[in-house]
Amino acid sequence: MKRLTILAATATLLSMTALASAAETANIWVRADGSNFMPQIVEAFNKSHENQIKLDIIPNAEIVQKYATSAAGGTAPDGLSLDLIYTPAFAAAGQLEDITDWAKSLPYFKELSPAHVKTGTYKDKIYGLPFSADSSVLIWNKKLFKQAGLDPEKGPTNFAEIAADAEKVAALGGEIKGFYFSGACGGCNIFTFTPLIWASGGDILSADGSKATLDTPQMRDAIALYRGMVEKGLVPEGAKTDSGANFFAAFAGGNIGITPSGAFAIGALNTQYKDIDYGVTFLPGKDGGSSSFAGGDNFVVTKGTPKLAVLKEFLDYAYSLEGQTLLASRGSLPVRGDIAKEALKDLDPRYQIAAEAMAKGNTPYSVVFNDIINSANGPWAQMINEVFFGDDVDGALANAQETMQGIIDAGTGQ
Amino acid sequence: MSSISAKAGAMPAAPARRRSKIDRGHWVGLLYIAPAIVLVMVFFVIPLGMTAWMSLHNWPLMGQHRFIGLDNYVAITKDVRFWNALKFTGYYTVIVTIAIFAVAFPLALFVEKPRPMMGVYRTAFFMPVVVGFASASLLWAWLLNVDSGLFSPAAQELGLTEKRFNLIATFNPAFWSIIVMVVWKVAGFTMVILMTGLQSIPTELQEAAKIDGANAWQRFRSITFPLMRRTVALALILSVAGSILAFDQFYILLRGGPRNSTITAVYWIFNQSFVSFKLGYGAALSMVLLVILVVLSLIQLRLLRNPEGT
Repeated sequence: MKRLTILAATATLLSMTALASAAETANIWVRADGSNFMPQIVEAFNKSHENQIKLDIIPNAEIVQKYATSAAGGTAPDGLSLDLIYTPAFAAAGQLEDITDWAKSLPYFKELSPAHVKTGTYKDKIYGLPFSADSSVLIWNKKLFKQAGLDPEKGPTNFAEIAADAEKVAALGGEIKGFYFSGACGGCNIFTFTPLIWASGGDILSADGSKATLDTPQMRDAIALYRGMVEKGLVPEGAKTDSGANFFAAFAGGNIGITPSGAFAIGALNTQYKDIDYGVTFLPGKDGGSSSFAGGDNFVVTKGTPKLAVLKEFLDYAYSLEGQTLLASRGSLPVRGDIAKEALKDLDPRYQIAAEAMAKGNTPYSVVFNDIINSANGPWAQMINEVFFGDDVDGALANAQETMQGIIDAGTGQ
Repeated sequence: MSSISAKAGAMPAAPARRRSKIDRGHWVGLLYIAPAIVLVMVFFVIPLGMTAWMSLHNWPLMGQHRFIGLDNYVAITKDVRFWNALKFTGYYTVIVTIAIFAVAFPLALFVEKPRPMMGVYRTAFFMPVVVGFASASLLWAWLLNVDSGLFSPAAQELGLTEKRFNLIATFNPAFWSIIVMVVWKVAGFTMVILMTGLQSIPTELQEAAKIDGANAWQRFRSITFPLMRRTVALALILSVAGSILAFDQFYILLRGGPRNSTITAVYWIFNQSFVSFKLGYGAALSMVLLVILVVLSLIQLRLLRNPEGT
């Protein structure tokens, strides 16, 4: 059904672009994660503007390869909504247009999401501007909390409370489990597990991404939390081998007490799982505090495109109050701090927590992010599985530290 | 034989005429094989040449490439994870080839003899072969799923395990699940190859041996197996080459897990090329794998050559 809507939306867009032949048309791409909001904002833009945008939705796992091959063949799109963590790698490869002047000329430049601008900057030049945003948060099932005798309106605020609440919920028995995470998914855990470390005061990479710092007390505390819950049987058996397929679906099934997730889940639960009563809170540190992974997409421009003016017009629209509100209503948090409150004021209040998490969020910076973190066979993915379920935490940490540092030192080879 | 007699027959003809005849024959022959040559050039020789060329470059997926000579090959010698992947691929190849033959040979013996419902058996055993590896892997991904699959919940319901057992969470159950799946998928194909070999053995030989008092095992050892050498060689080379190039099932079913313990050589090449974006290095790895494969095939051909050298 969702796919049908996307198809229909794309078809409408195509026919609309065909009509407006007099004006200029710029091609843009977005990864499939953006299919919730991108067709809508493109459609709204095309309706109200003479210049047009033609949108293609590309499967998440294929967008980098597809972009690289089309760039080599001279058929790359004019612009691209790119997972922000890839911006440094793309800029380093010389694929992107330097848009420093444009970015700095925006009156609200200082108000744009700092995580996006940080990853959009390579060697002091700006190659990407914030487009969509997603932050990691902790969500809990209020119905199960009530059944377990917990206060359904109060989410956990530190590690001990997470473990205690999860244990009470799991005690309900049957198919019901206390806690869920995708134990074989590097991307999921950089999004939801590292904030536990950040909130406790640690980090996994140095600020410039040149040093891996995995073996820290904060890391070990967060590991102890997860291991403890696994040992007590509070986590479903399937978590061990979940490479991300159940990242959202497990909680949506209604049998999970607590799970770390993202702002996107608010939109998805509200539209597709209306019967789940859930709360949203910050991902806490060991003794309180909070942090979040500030994720989402940067808008980047292909080097040498002749359609820069159209793209500017489109981005101006996306940054307007109208555009920011539209994006927020489809599950993408506002990226302009100065109008975030206004854009969110008529929406589900739980978005406010996600927006606040976004503003305080953190984003690791690395030109080899895909290699060290996201790859299903990278050191991060291997380490999290070993430290959560294996027998040798020390060995796993040491091994991951060494492999990760090796990849960072080898760099992109350019 | 026929070529020799043709040559002998042409001997008395005048040298000049003979040459033009041969020339014309050459050109006609060339014309006939031209489509095949074009196909081989476009889809094999040129890509192979490009791979070799790329392997001498630092060739990122994005951006400029530059010539670096043999640096990629030097890097391969130090790439521990590639050699580990190769080691695992070797282990997998040995186990899966033995398993396939252990299942396919009895099946071939079973379906070779005329018996009622023979067609049904042959079709049933061959059926999984026509399923693509990717779709078969997806089917098994569901069967093996710990929460919503078949095996784990069934084992629990039947009281075989106390709680759900996650088959793909540790190396041995995950590895053997793949072996079972591959045997299910491939044994039918090997069975058909072996069956044609069995059918080409003249029945008189078997009957004569029977009359001489040879028992079933003696007949198998002294007649069936020696006469099937070539067929076995073909089946073996296909199976070994296919196993060394294994990728789909490990990628789709296990994602190289648990904990990167099932990464095959091709999987590593894929990762280097499309996860780390190092196409040049991936090309160099492919060349190394190609050489290994060619050497292995030559060894197998030599070992299974008929003793008389025919």
